[in-house]
Amino acid sequence: MRYPLARAALEGRDGPGRIRNPFPMTIPRLIVPAAAACWTVAGLAAADLHILPPSVALDGPYAHQQLLAQGTTEGVQADWTESVEWSSDAPTVASVDAGGVVRPVSDGTALIRAQADGVEATRMVEVSGVDEQFAWSFRKHVIPVLTKKSCNSGSCHGAAAGKNGFKLTLRGYDPSADYVSLTREATARRISLAEPASSLFLLKPTMALAHGGGQRIVVPSLEYQVLSEWIAAGAPGPTNEDPDVVGLEVYPREATLAPGARQRLVVRARYSDGRVEDISRWARYSSTNAAVAEVNDSGVATMVGRGEAAITVAYATSVLYARLSVPHDGEISEEDFGRLSINNFIDEIVLRKLRELRIAPSGLASDSAFLRRAYLDAAGILPSAGEVEEFLSDASPDKRSRLVDQLLERPEFADYWAYKWSDLLLVSTNSGHLNRTALWDFYNWIRDAVETNRPWDQFAREIFASSGSSRENGALNYFVLHKDPIALAENTTQAFMGQTLTCARCHNHPLEKWTQEQYYRFANLFARIGIKSGDEPGDSLIFAKDFGDIPHPRTGEPLPPTPLEGEELPLDSATDRKVHLAEWLSSDANPHFARNVVSRVWAAFFARGLVEPPDDLRATNPSSNEELFEALVRDFVGSGYDVKHLIRRIMNSATYQRSSAPNASNERDDRYYSRYQVKRLPAEVILDAMSSISGTESRFDGYPVGMRAIQLPDVQIESRFLESFGRPPRLVCDVEERSDDPSIAQALHVINGETLNGKLRAEGNNVAALLALGLSDRRIVEHLFLSAYSRYPTESEHSRILDELRQARDDRDGRQPRGRAGREAVEDLMWAMLTTREFLFNH
Amino acid sequence: MFRLDADKTVEFCDGTRRRDFLHAGSLSLLGLGMSDFLQMRAQGANTEGSDDINVIMLMLVGGPSHLDTFDMKPEAPIEIRGPHRPIKTNVPGIEICEIFPRMARHADKYALLRGCYHNAAAVHAMGHQLFQTGRLSLGGMEHPHIGSVLGYIKGSRGDLPPHVLLPKIIGPTGGNFKPGQSAGYLGKRHDPFVLNADPSADDFKVPDMLPPPYLPGFRVDRRRDWRGIVDRAVSKFETSQDARLLDSTFHQAYTLMTSEKARQAFDLQSESAETRTRYGGNRFGQSCLLARRLVESGVRFVTVNMFETVFDEITWDIHGSPPFSPISGYRDLVGPMFDNAFTSLIEDLSDRGMLESTMVLALGEFGRTPKVNPAGGRDHWPQAWSIVAAGGGIQGGQVIGSTDKIGGAPKDRPVRPAEIVATIYHRLGIGLETELPAANGRPLPVVDRGVEPIHELFS
Repeated sequence: MRYPLARAALEGRDGPGRIRNPFPMTIPRLIVPAAAACWTVAGLAAADLHILPPSVALDGPYAHQQLLAQGTTEGVQADWTESVEWSSDAPTVASVDAGGVVRPVSDGTALIRAQADGVEATRMVEVSGVDEQFAWSFRKHVIPVLTKKSCNSGSCHGAAAGKNGFKLTLRGYDPSADYVSLTREATARRISLAEPASSLFLLKPTMALAHGGGQRIVVPSLEYQVLSEWIAAGAPGPTNEDPDVVGLEVYPREATLAPGARQRLVVRARYSDGRVEDISRWARYSSTNAAVAEVNDSGVATMVGRGEAAITVAYATSVLYARLSVPHDGEISEEDFGRLSINNFIDEIVLRKLRELRIAPSGLASDSAFLRRAYLDAAGILPSAGEVEEFLSDASPDKRSRLVDQLLERPEFADYWAYKWSDLLLVSTNSGHLNRTALWDFYNWIRDAVETNRPWDQFAREIFASSGSSRENGALNYFVLHKDPIALAENTTQAFMGQTLTCARCHNHPLEKWTQEQYYRFANLFARIGIKSGDEPGDSLIFAKDFGDIPHPRTGEPLPPTPLEGEELPLDSATDRKVHLAEWLSSDANPHFARNVVSRVWAAFFARGLVEPPDDLRATNPSSNEELFEALVRDFVGSGYDVKHLIRRIMNSATYQRSSAPNASNERDDRYYSRYQVKRLPAEVILDAMSSISGTESRFDGYPVGMRAIQLPDVQIESRFLESFGRPPRLVCDVEERSDDPSIAQALHVINGETLNGKLRAEGNNVAALLALGLSDRRIVEHLFLSAYSRYPTESEHSRILDELRQARDDRDGRQPRGRAGREAVEDLMWAMLTTREFLFNH
Repeated sequence: MFRLDADKTVEFCDGTRRRDFLHAGSLSLLGLGMSDFLQMRAQGANTEGSDDINVIMLMLVGGPSHLDTFDMKPEAPIEIRGPHRPIKTNVPGIEICEIFPRMARHADKYALLRGCYHNAAAVHAMGHQLFQTGRLSLGGMEHPHIGSVLGYIKGSRGDLPPHVLLPKIIGPTGGNFKPGQSAGYLGKRHDPFVLNADPSADDFKVPDMLPPPYLPGFRVDRRRDWRGIVDRAVSKFETSQDARLLDSTFHQAYTLMTSEKARQAFDLQSESAETRTRYGGNRFGQSCLLARRLVESGVRFVTVNMFETVFDEITWDIHGSPPFSPISGYRDLVGPMFDNAFTSLIEDLSDRGMLESTMVLALGEFGRTPKVNPAGGRDHWPQAWSIVAAGGGIQGGQVIGSTDKIGGAPKDRPVRPAEIVATIYHRLGIGLETELPAANGRPLPVVDRGVEPIHELFS
């Protein structure tokens, strides 16, 4: 059967579980044999076939290359590798099997052809070195076999303590150590050069002898062949001349596929000696979005849902991913797309992605919705009723961008962002390291930096490139909070680079970029920070010591202090190590620095970050829109690390200003910014809004009355409300410390708890004021809607509520004084309005 | 009342098998939606086990050393066997650690599984996830806690939520991993009801469960009505799980407030001083007592976290150096705390004839290194450890599985956490084939295919 498309069509009709065909125009035609020709004539997208990888050179007798035959029909790819007919025009040079694997026969060139139903593609293959001597290499072949078969995984022999006396380094990060434990330990029974077949190294994993880990390797298999022939060749060890893996290639890098499609991935390693080899068989695969794509151990992905998934490919210490997507099944109209407003580059990139995925975005939000959203996201406050009325009646076309500019200059902006960065820097007495003076100094430094819009690189340098008294420079409390070099190294990379270094403290991490050596080089940058008590409590003197090192735990020797990807400093250098760090950390040479803050700022405006969670910037955690992410970072760096500039860009984009109401096409999109996704307000913002609307003040023990929750410098302050609504404890640098999950406890607290009830019944609050002003019920209701929801009530809401208020007053009239019943009714209305989703969410 | 999960968008994607497709086709002819279908399928598998079984799951956060609790190696050298000695129990041949003298008198009521192990990283949260969800949360998919699955499938028995967690969710234990104590992809509506209070506090009551005295009933009702009028159910909130859930939490809160039964269940004051002392006057002891009361009142599943973190507190996490615990913490604090609470719980359930219908599990997330470390402590060891299981038809007085002579690896009958999870589902009458709607409505069985219950526990 050589009709891949016809087969796809059949599957489309009654295949597993498909109920809607997303490509109705494509498939029926394909069943007609002559269809392909017709399209070409008609100028429609014809089925196109091409072969991946784009160039193939086979070097050496054991070289091979899996080829992929990728068909493309109207922008949708399909993996035809298994169904095309493969042939070689020079079988004496290179052979190709039915599955598309090419192998060398003799030196020369051969043209490999893939044919299917009227389409064909070719790929030239160069063959060399067929007669060269070949030997399996410990580093290049044996270790990858052990890794692929999980022998050196953390749960088997790669555990810190090994397994049953046999210890390998985790995922083979130290081949020399592995070679020693294989050949020198256990009285050399593991490898028997005299009698290779009796080596435990072969008998155990094949279960010829009992093996706790079960059968890992079957006989015969390429893996068995590698291990046995390597032993037979004298078990040569790793050498310094062994080529290193310098990079990976994955094919296809990106593909848009049909639902249910299977796609084989081909992975090649590029070595330091220039060779490029197919290592698909020994790469490890995982899916970052199992609801969209699954991937098996052989690197074949199956598209199980719609959307986009990244397939992570790991080999040696390199990681790469392929992006596979299945478009949504909605209809989108090019015409509608063309009409969408593009305010800046954010919109261009977002719309491009939405078009690819066939998601139609929502329209722009109303002025009311935008106003409320902008106040909350930029400054953590609600606009007053007066501000709402003013904005709604303003007819000028640039009023949104003017509002953004105004918001960014308000003191509440500084309060709100100072709170956010205090979350980031863990400003709190919770840890026990900061006293009240130090807390305030640290906080005031942050707030001042926000207020004066200090560039982010300078912000970082004020921490890392300075010395002296923490009373004079509050930033230095960073070193009071995180005292030892290990804590400093890990917190600094998390807070300022979005990188988790912790794993590398004990071992190289297979899916992290950072090695243990890099860890201890980095930690050593913090080894010479001296702290002395200053003249008064809360004053610390931070200075550069001229001694002290953090040894590498395996060697016991210190390594030259080196920023992760920067220049090393000699161990005996007199340069202040943290100044050296600061220069690299905050420079353009450190790609993670800008990326980290851009990710965090973006996530403050959208319910979902460019990566999730927004503080996890590992290479293995791909972004939902990498192009957008990179453009934002470029723009931010170009602006001189200007956070307000970044915020302005975001808030002025049409993407940010979209309505939160979904349409049929985007209701399931939660990550491509096709609409504004509603999000619950932060605990502190809800409390402050309740205070401002009720006209009351919160009381926080030890702080002046009237201080808003978002102005607090600390989180170690008793508040049942903030606690149940998810205030973070600021103990660990982790965005997920803050929670916005709803819970019964929250509902119980607003229904029965003292916080909201106390505000509603307080003497002299806004309920009393509204009544004292003698406002009509109609005007009271309108005022409440404007202050809580930034909009006027609809006519039906208005009349319904007025009825209820009237009735409430009348009902109680016989039993209570009129005034009291009236007040209680307004209190109850205010309660109802302050507990709705429209109030508690930004939307 | 148990509601069909009608508000969940369920996509019938291509991951579904042909058999399901046929089902779905005929269902739609009958006018039934996919959600009804999933629900029916979930319930249809319910043919074994019993609807009457309840579960109390004690999470021994920190990871108890098996060598210092239930799998002692008195014959091993001092650096292996550690500072503790075994004592005899009331079942000949079964010995446990001397720090549990009360438990030793009830060994006939519980089984020990000594061959537990897992293959994931030696990180606290891995074991927490595996024991409470049966899986690791990978690929962006967060798997649901067993108690949440139970609530999702069977709903609540009365006014009380089906799944209650005491006293708080497990906090940070190192590494940014979730502790597996949510409903994951089932939706937050099925998250456990979390107490968030210390039941050993003198003034303990469920926070905010009743209206303040100045708020008469008619006003509470009026507020509720008016909230309904103002809260417009617009489409933008319907696509947000958080927003939908907010409404359901209000509904649940009102149900809880108006229930006399719920009020009584949480009233620890109605227990005698003797009983309260017997469980131990600490957070864990009183949580165990409260767990018993909740199960008596109709809660199906209670999870009790013995500790909330492993930092700066004496816990099972005996690395030996700050901020972790020293090994002496077992004898001084943690051992007696567990001995009193667990034993009292078993005694009470047994005396009240409830042990047959209440499964009690005491689980740590991993064991600890056979060799005592230079700080005098022991580090993480997921290669082997022991757990305790009682009630719900489990045959007490038996030991299942064993480890090698240093407690380094299981010797026979190794048990993975997923098998414990399968055992619980099995006894709860939830067939292991029962499928749940994972992300995008993709069906996923409650445990991975091929994982079997530990049948030996019931014979």
